[in-house]
Amino acid sequence: MPSGGLVFQSVILGLLLGGLYALLAAGLTLYFGIMRVVMIAHSAFLILAAYLAWWSHERLGTDPLLSMIVTVPLFFGAGVLFQRLLLSRLRPITLTMMSVLLTFAVALIIEGLLGYAFTGTQRRIQLSYGSASIGLFGARIAVVKLIAFGLAVVALGGLYLLMKRTTFGWALRATIQHGDAARLVGIDTDRVAGYGFGLGLATAAVGGTALSLDTTIYPSLHWHWIGPLMAIIVVGGLGSVPGAAAAAVLLGLMQSLLQIPMGTTWAQTIFYLALFATLAFRPQGFFGGRLAQRF
Amino acid sequence: MRSSLRRTRWATALAATTILALGACSDDGGDGGQASDDPIVVGISLPLTGDFSEPGKGVQEGYEAWAKITNDKGGLLGRQIELKILDDQSNADRVVADYEQLIGSDKVDLVVGPFSTRLVVPSARVAEEYGMLFVEPAGAAKEVFEQGFKNLFYAAPAVANDHYNHLAEYLIAMPPDKRPQTVAYAAMDDPFAQGTAYGLKAKLEAAGFKTVVDEVYPPNTTDFGSIAAKIAASKADMLVGGSQYQDGVNLIVALQQLAYQPKLAAFSGAPTNPEFAKAIGNKTEGVLSPTGYTPGAPYESNKEFVEKFKAQFGKEPEEDQANAYTTGQVVAAAVTAAGCAEQGDCQKKLVDWVHANKVETVVGPLSWDAAGKPQGAHMIQQWLGGSIKIVLPEPVKEADLLYPKPAW
Repeated sequence: MPSGGLVFQSVILGLLLGGLYALLAAGLTLYFGIMRVVMIAHSAFLILAAYLAWWSHERLGTDPLLSMIVTVPLFFGAGVLFQRLLLSRLRPITLTMMSVLLTFAVALIIEGLLGYAFTGTQRRIQLSYGSASIGLFGARIAVVKLIAFGLAVVALGGLYLLMKRTTFGWALRATIQHGDAARLVGIDTDRVAGYGFGLGLATAAVGGTALSLDTTIYPSLHWHWIGPLMAIIVVGGLGSVPGAAAAAVLLGLMQSLLQIPMGTTWAQTIFYLALFATLAFRPQGFFGGRLAQRF
Repeated sequence: MRSSLRRTRWATALAATTILALGACSDDGGDGGQASDDPIVVGISLPLTGDFSEPGKGVQEGYEAWAKITNDKGGLLGRQIELKILDDQSNADRVVADYEQLIGSDKVDLVVGPFSTRLVVPSARVAEEYGMLFVEPAGAAKEVFEQGFKNLFYAAPAVANDHYNHLAEYLIAMPPDKRPQTVAYAAMDDPFAQGTAYGLKAKLEAAGFKTVVDEVYPPNTTDFGSIAAKIAASKADMLVGGSQYQDGVNLIVALQQLAYQPKLAAFSGAPTNPEFAKAIGNKTEGVLSPTGYTPGAPYESNKEFVEKFKAQFGKEPEEDQANAYTTGQVVAAAVTAAGCAEQGDCQKKLVDWVHANKVETVVGPLSWDAAGKPQGAHMIQQWLGGSIKIVLPEPVKEADLLYPKPAW
């Protein structure tokens, strides 16, 4: 029987982990929602952003969080270009399938370039507050995990407000719901899709920086992430940011709590069990579906 | 183009003639008269490209150092040593083809092993088939010794399960009220890493130490928060990590974040990595690790090895280089004792000799059981005052073991 302290500590760790998962998965659900693009390279962009954060810290001595001033706009621009120059050339009828192949290739290219530029050596950002933590009723909250969670709240909250409160957000949601109808009412869906893609990649810049604070990074790390992230967006309902966030927090919490009786190997399978259950019983996702339509 | 073709053809013809000549010589010399001045050719396949290219190159340097140092002293049986090294690209199929070629068509006199369990097992099978002595520098997993090989010998102090033996002896010898009472184990699901932690676990449990956490995690684990939470909640006196580099570091940082302070912490892989101290915020004081080799070890042949290796390569030898050099020393000892080094009956004499004798090497005296498993243990080193010092066993130690370890 696990002690109450351990369960409480695990709940805290699970919530923090879930927040990070939500941030990392947000972009994926946008791409799929807007244009039915399966973006295998999303996690490779996360690792790229993490490397840029590490590199700027190593070279300039600045806090890794400051790297976002450069990486967020850079990734947004790259996303727009990526959509306009590559994805928009794919034929709509085979888009989903071909996007898997195209973005798979992009992931390999990013991994190769990272290996070329920074070698395969494992890197970790050395922060003065890397092992610092705050006490809370006997449990400990690591400062870096709290910062990552904060980044997730700010990024996802901003994304939510953008989608709900701005004209661009309405246009984006209209494009997600019904592209043809959106075009009929005068929305330039191509441009909106480009910006939507840019937005997704901008979340990868934030997510990668959050990841770099508390993880050892190496070029092929993205393959470990893409599976769980894909599972999260399917469970959450493709195209639904709140759905992805809810699924991420729930799965993070379950992983953390199942770890106590079952150990690491089995606790990780919760993602795939949830994926199977979703596809078998509720293919539109447990938290998405109608919700996704309404955002 | 044409000239290069012709050159290739000439080279092939020359090589064929040489091989024929060598074959004839070794046939003649087989009966005992060792008047031949031909070099002793040692065949090796190494992963010089691919996954294991990093350690593969280290092993190559070790073999080259052995050949040079031996040749400078007049060679073996008065003959020079010549290495014939092929690249197997870290590929298990290629390594089999390479040893088939070396033994079957190139007719090398001796063969020695490649790097890593994954390549050692298939290549040892070829050597076994041809009845060749097979000393190898890098097959530490216990699977290697479960294949029924009769000609294989692992040229290092210990297999993974025995790496922590000296630490186990030390802890068991402590007064029961002073020693750590509870132990937490966290090991990567990998034959080598898990083997180290579980070897220690078996010995400590038998001596009455209580296991409070026993976690095994897959190699792709990225989040160590939950494992750390379990260990921190157990408040174990002692922490044992069956780890490689990345996971060891991630686990230590996660434990620091939870303010867990063990009295003793030992990790199999990470602490020897040059980046280790920086990665965990220089809070290394007192962290323990097993090691098979140290350039400072006081064994007679080691001083010569380190000095001459530095002269040849401009740096200190590490464990990979030392294991390859040790392999060479074992083969050389057998050849010197048996007075022969060629394929055929001689190989049986070499194998029998290694089975029956103890060899002095740069990693200390080595002897083997019937399966070729070395009968030793690794040294234990500890981070003390910002550098790594050998603390166990007693005869080779550079400093006293620090217990309990300072807070990290």
